[in-house]
Amino acid sequence: MSNVYDFPGGIYPPERKQRSNQSALIQAPLPGRVILTLQQHSGQPATPCVAPGDEVKVGSVIAKREGMICSDLHASISGTVSEVGTTQITIDGDGQDNWERLPSLDWQRAEPSALLERLNESGIVGLGGAGFPTHIKARVVERHAIHTLVINAAECEPYITADDLTLRHHANEVLEGAQIVAKLCGAQHIMIGIEDNKPDAIKALKHALSNYQPINIELKVIPTRYPSGGERQLIKRLLNLDVPSGGLPADVGVLCHNPGTLLAILHAVRDGQPLVSRVVTLTGEAITQPGNRWVRLGTSVRELLEQAGLNTPELHQVIQGGPMMGSPLLTLDTPVTKLTNCLIAATLNELPPPPAESPCIRCGECESVCPVALLPQQLHWYARAQDDAKLERYHLFDCIECGACSYVCPSHIPLVVDYREAKSRIRLQRIEAVKAEHAKHRFEFRQARLAREEAEKQARKQARQAQQRRSSTSAAASSEKVDLRGLRIAHAAAKASVKKAEKTLARVAQEDPKQSLDDLEMQLATAQENLKAAELQLAQAREQQSSEESP
Amino acid sequence: MSMMHASGVKDAITATSVPPTASLMRWVIAATLPGIATMSYFFGLGIISNVLLAAAFGVALEAAVLRLRQRPIRVKLNDSSALLTGVLLGASLPPASPWWLIGVGMIAAIVVAKQLYGGLGHNPFNPAMVGYALLLVSFPTYMTLWAPPQELLPNDLWAQIAGTLPTAQLDSLSGATPLDAFKHKGEAVLASEFWAASPLPDGTLSAWRWVALAWLAGGAVLLAKRIISWHIPVAMLGSVLLLATLFYLSDPSHFASPLFHLLTGATLFGAFFIATDPVSAATSQRGKLLYGAGIGALVMIIRTFGGYPDAVAFAVLLMNLCVPLLDLYSVPRPTGQQKASPGKPGEQP
Repeated sequence: MSNVYDFPGGIYPPERKQRSNQSALIQAPLPGRVILTLQQHSGQPATPCVAPGDEVKVGSVIAKREGMICSDLHASISGTVSEVGTTQITIDGDGQDNWERLPSLDWQRAEPSALLERLNESGIVGLGGAGFPTHIKARVVERHAIHTLVINAAECEPYITADDLTLRHHANEVLEGAQIVAKLCGAQHIMIGIEDNKPDAIKALKHALSNYQPINIELKVIPTRYPSGGERQLIKRLLNLDVPSGGLPADVGVLCHNPGTLLAILHAVRDGQPLVSRVVTLTGEAITQPGNRWVRLGTSVRELLEQAGLNTPELHQVIQGGPMMGSPLLTLDTPVTKLTNCLIAATLNELPPPPAESPCIRCGECESVCPVALLPQQLHWYARAQDDAKLERYHLFDCIECGACSYVCPSHIPLVVDYREAKSRIRLQRIEAVKAEHAKHRFEFRQARLAREEAEKQARKQARQAQQRRSSTSAAASSEKVDLRGLRIAHAAAKASVKKAEKTLARVAQEDPKQSLDDLEMQLATAQENLKAAELQLAQAREQQSSEESP
Repeated sequence: MSMMHASGVKDAITATSVPPTASLMRWVIAATLPGIATMSYFFGLGIISNVLLAAAFGVALEAAVLRLRQRPIRVKLNDSSALLTGVLLGASLPPASPWWLIGVGMIAAIVVAKQLYGGLGHNPFNPAMVGYALLLVSFPTYMTLWAPPQELLPNDLWAQIAGTLPTAQLDSLSGATPLDAFKHKGEAVLASEFWAASPLPDGTLSAWRWVALAWLAGGAVLLAKRIISWHIPVAMLGSVLLLATLFYLSDPSHFASPLFHLLTGATLFGAFFIATDPVSAATSQRGKLLYGAGIGALVMIIRTFGGYPDAVAFAVLLMNLCVPLLDLYSVPRPTGQQKASPGKPGEQP
């Protein structure tokens, strides 16, 4: 604990982890029916590739990834597809639990491309909460040099013990999964960051590490403080590196994975088992058998809680995720997804509704706990006033929405709610602005095309007239004085703007290959149309001048 | 990535672990008690009657304005902020203040400085100091009625509160505060000569020192309970000490000692109870340091070169004026940002 660095702010909420970390990690009963939502990750929803009536085994692909930030989805029980909806697929189980596995891979010998393909076809996403597709994250090495893989085992939110139990039971496998990722991204160094309130998991890791002499894996135990499990905060703590604003850990050469994801990666590579189940913490005072379970994806939350001894009259609300950043479920008839790390069945006493909000007195408590060193009190003020310029000056978009400020606010102001609303409002405005700009460019392109067509028509007409003049030999009355100099300038300007548009397009395409270039290509096409029109006009004017001088 | 945030969820734990605004206010009120007790020990029960009257005015005026503004009276009064303003203004007034003086001060404080700007959290100026400054410039005779210690008899008290004390007796009551006496000692008089002439009634100086130490004790409680942060008091007292030391070292025969500036007048009271009003103070920690230092510097400048012997009220109000500017230029650098503020607003962060 000696050589860890510090991040600003942070809070010490009651941990309440005791309730779920006392019992062993067990399998939840096989569900009779599962509902698998097509959107189990960040980005685009997957596209179904089964029809009602199809027989599936555990691990059969039922929806394919489409688009870049997306992930495959697999059947989590064997049985019959009963319904394929626009947002979800329902499977009725046969109770057999028949599996369909991919061939086992030896990660130490396998080609990186084979490993990447395995991650892709196994539907693995980050199981810590954000749900970013793992195969995309693994390809980060194409753009960045990675020196350290961080295993984020901090698990700083109250109540949640899923990573804790995963490490206690599967420390060796998590470390092996970490080595697969380290190999893929070329990291020389693996670092485990874990809060000191998980002594059993630390012991298990130490024991596992004793088997891994030659490999550079370092265990760092950090003091318990929320939100040290935030990616940026943990990297600061372990490596004293600041992830740049708007950037990724990869920008400072770091990749973060949580233990559950690493275990899933090992299962996919070693056992050919796609992501069909995950560890879920069941806790809260409204259930009698709290603990952590391996749960098949798509299992109903209600079923799960009832198996854990749900005391319905006492139940006030069920929160998915932790109490700081999670969200209350509107209905219990909702399935477990790849992102469900914790379900808190809370009584009214346990998590009562907040007291009424009173005015901000700018006491500065929020500022002293902000892990990003923002001024939450000022952001609150400007968010309510919708003063977007000020919000950006005060770095609204650096807020990680950890909720520490709301937690300490003596006036009970739901600060993070304000920030989220402001952020989504500003994002929407930006999208609108880009759309308007794009529409303008489309219009300009059309104008340029019409101008070019007009110029072509003029050129043809002039050519015809010239021919007539020659044949009739009568002196042409075309006394129109041509502004040759002006046209020459216009032509040069059009040429320059084509060059500029080409350059911009090339630069942007190089900087960010992922970005959509439609708009820039449109602008280039516009410039090219303008150039063509200018060329025609110039040629036409020269012709006219020469024909006037020659007779 | 971001699930909907549930305000009920995170505030749930909050309810039991952080004192709400009202209790912050009550802690500040509690911390004024040693100062008020010490003052009334030395300067008579007039101090207590001031505080009680001002607090009562505060609550009544706040309720009246809330009623006019059609706001929930009971909920808002419950935050105790009007009570606190009353206590602070009451504790600043001379012991022989009549009821109407207190009333006028509290109208300026609660109605004008606070509620007309939108109530708690919206006032740009410290309400108690607005009241005090108004009284100081409007009723200078009453505001300098600092009786020598223990001079005011209990049977005079009622007459004093009612404002019916005869003028002759009023005059006999008025004694200079140490700061006042030193300020008006005359250009030619050396500091040593001034002190040799024993210009103050017996015990006056030590009474003021005890009062200052009592405020310090209350302030220490607030710091220990983390009701206020150290930034403003430390910056303010630091800059008072620094400037007083510089003046004193430059000419000890004409300038008072740093300790004199620290332990007389409202320096300590102001540092812990007035300047630390979060609503009207600067926001960021860096801003608070600048704000506190500015108050300290203005106190020394006004005391030394200005027309008023004590200067805490004016210094605080002047620095209140600077808060928007301080806030704008003291934004901390967030983790991961190259600098505190991006060049252009509207830039993609």
